[in-house]
Amino acid sequence: MEKPAIQLKNVHKSYYLSNDEEVPVLNGINLDINEGEFVALMGESGCGKTTLLNIIGCLHPLSDGEYFLDGENIGEVRDDYTLAFIRNKKMGFVFQQFNLFSRLSALKNIALPALYAGEKKEIREEKALKLLGSVNMEDRANYKPTELSGGQQQRVSICRSLMNDPDILLADEPTGALDSKSGLEIMKIFTDLKRNNKTIIMVTHTAEVAKYADRIIFMKDGKVMDKNYRLASNY
Amino acid sequence: MKLEIIRMSFESLLANKTRSFLSMLGIIIGVSTVIAVFAIGQGAQQAVDEQFQGLSANSILVMQMRGKTESSNLKTTDSEIIIENCSHISEATAVIQESMAVSFESEEGSFSISGIESNYFKMSSIEIDKGVLISAEDIAGSEKVAVLGSGVVEELFENTDEIIGKNIKINGKTIEIIGTVKETGRSMGKSSLDDTIFLPNTMAEKSILGSKAFIMIFTIVDDVENIEIASEEIVSVLRNEHNLKDSQADDFRIMDAGAMVGAAQDSAELMTFLLTSVAAIVLLVSGIGIMNVMFVTVAERTKEIGIAKAIGGKQGDILGQFLLESVMLSMVGGLLGIGLGLLIVPIFSRFEIMAVAFSWTGPIIGFGFSVLVGVFFGFYPALKASRLDPVDALRSE
Repeated sequence: MEKPAIQLKNVHKSYYLSNDEEVPVLNGINLDINEGEFVALMGESGCGKTTLLNIIGCLHPLSDGEYFLDGENIGEVRDDYTLAFIRNKKMGFVFQQFNLFSRLSALKNIALPALYAGEKKEIREEKALKLLGSVNMEDRANYKPTELSGGQQQRVSICRSLMNDPDILLADEPTGALDSKSGLEIMKIFTDLKRNNKTIIMVTHTAEVAKYADRIIFMKDGKVMDKNYRLASNY
Repeated sequence: MKLEIIRMSFESLLANKTRSFLSMLGIIIGVSTVIAVFAIGQGAQQAVDEQFQGLSANSILVMQMRGKTESSNLKTTDSEIIIENCSHISEATAVIQESMAVSFESEEGSFSISGIESNYFKMSSIEIDKGVLISAEDIAGSEKVAVLGSGVVEELFENTDEIIGKNIKINGKTIEIIGTVKETGRSMGKSSLDDTIFLPNTMAEKSILGSKAFIMIFTIVDDVENIEIASEEIVSVLRNEHNLKDSQADDFRIMDAGAMVGAAQDSAELMTFLLTSVAAIVLLVSGIGIMNVMFVTVAERTKEIGIAKAIGGKQGDILGQFLLESVMLSMVGGLLGIGLGLLIVPIFSRFEIMAVAFSWTGPIIGFGFSVLVGVFFGFYPALKASRLDPVDALRSE
C-alpha cells in the first residue's frame, strides 16, 4: 500500500524585499508524494519549482501551511540541529552544478555527509568506495572534481546524496549541465534508485528527462496545476 | 571526525599559503615581542636586584646634590656628625668617589676611586682577600695606601700573587697596595665595586680627588621601623650643621634603601609595561588582520558553506571549522613567533644590546595570547558563516 512520504498542505512561501515588500512565490501548494515515487517538477522559470524543492529539502522555512515528512509535521521546525539532521539523514541533494568541494577528492566528497553524521573514517570511506563502485568509478576515488568530466562529477554528487542512505532524493535539474549521453546515464541511475524504493523529486525543464518519472507535476505562478499527468512507467 | 575537520582546515589554509602567512605575520611579531619583552623585563629586574644586592633594607644614603655643586655642601666629616647626633643611626660611613686613570708599570686603566673610612668594608660586607684593609690609623695618618677590587687586580696585574707592596700611580701620585678584596659582583651606584680602588678618605680628598669628587654617606638605621624617623633626624641634624635657614632648601639628598630599590624597580616595571603595551597592540592589530582574512575566507567559501548545510552540516560544524582555521592561523603564528623570539633574545645578550634574562613565561604567555587572539577574532566571522542562509549561500558564486 502506498503511503505519502511527503505531504504538503496549503504551503505558502514569500520573500521580502529590502523595502519590506512581500513577494509571494508559493501560493498554497497541496501535494502528496508517495514513498518510492519518482516525481518530476516542471514549469516555467520563476514558477517556484526550486523554492518548493528547497522547502521539501528543509533549506527554506515555509511562510505558512503544513509539511508532513513521514507523517510528522515539520513545517514549524526552525531548530538548526533538527533541520540539519533531516538534511543529513533523510534526504540527499543533487544539484545542477554538482556542487562538489573542489579541494577534496571524489571519495572525500562522497564521505562528507557521513563525516557530519559523526561516522568513523574507515566506515565512511569503505561505504563511499562502494558507492563509487556502483556507478563504475572506483578507479576515480582520488581524483579531484576538476579532473572529472561533468557526467562523472554528477555521478559523484549522486553518490554523496546516497551516503547516509536517505529515503528521499532531491534533484534540481540534475542533467541541466550535461550532454545528452551523460544525462541519459544519470537518468538510468535514478530509475535504478527508484527501483530500490527511493523517493525522488526532480526539478527539470526537459520533457525528455521528465518522462523517466512516474508523475509530472506542473507548476504555474506558485501553484500546482490542477491537471497532473501520471505517466505509465517507461520500464 | 574531529581529525578530518582539522585536516580540512589545514588544507584550506595551505591552499592560500601567502595569505595565511601574511595574516600570521602580525602574530609572529607580536609573540616574539612578548618573549623579548619578558626577557628584557626579567633582565632589568635582575639588574636591579644585582645593583642593590647587599644593601640592607635598613640603610639610608645621603648624597650631595647632583650637578649643582654650589648648592651642595655635604662633607665627609658629616658622617661623624650624623653618628653623634642621630639617635636611630647605628653606623655611618662617608665615601668620596670619582673615576680616574690608574697605572701600574705599563698597564693602564680607568677605575672608580673611592675614599673610604675604616668601617666601610664591614658595613658593605666586603671581605679581605690578601694583605690588610685600610685601618683607622691609615686614615688618621692620611697614608698613601690602597686596597684593590678583584676587577682592578685582574686588569692591571699579570701575576696576581705578588701584588701586596707594589706601587700604583693614581693621578700622578704613587700609592702602595696593602691589600685586595674578594669579588662581590655588586655595584655602588653605576660603578662596579670590583672595579674600584679603595683609599683612605683623608688622603684621597687631600691628594687625589680634590673637592669636586662625589660624596656619599652610608648609614644604617637601628631598626627598619625607624627608617622614616631616622631620615628626618638626619635632615634636621645636617641642616643644623650646615646652618641652613628655614627658607633655604636642603643642600644634600637623602634616600632610603626601600625608596632606591623601589625607584629602580618602578623604572624597570615601567619599561616592561611600555613594552608589554606595544606587544599587546601588535597582537590586537594582528587579531584584526586575522579577522579580516577570515571574513574574506568566509565570503570566498560562501557556496561551500551552502553545500555543507545542504548535505547536513550543522551550524556548529561550520562554526567549528572556521574557528579552527583562525585558531590554527594564530597558533602556527604563535609557534613561529616563539621560534623568532628564541632567536632574538640570545642576539640581545650576545651583542649586549640590552640586559635580558630568558624565562619560559614569555613564550607561554605569548602563545596563550596568540591562541586567544585566534579564538576571539575568528569567532565573529565563523559565527557569520554558520548563520548564512543555505539557499542564499548555494546561490552565490
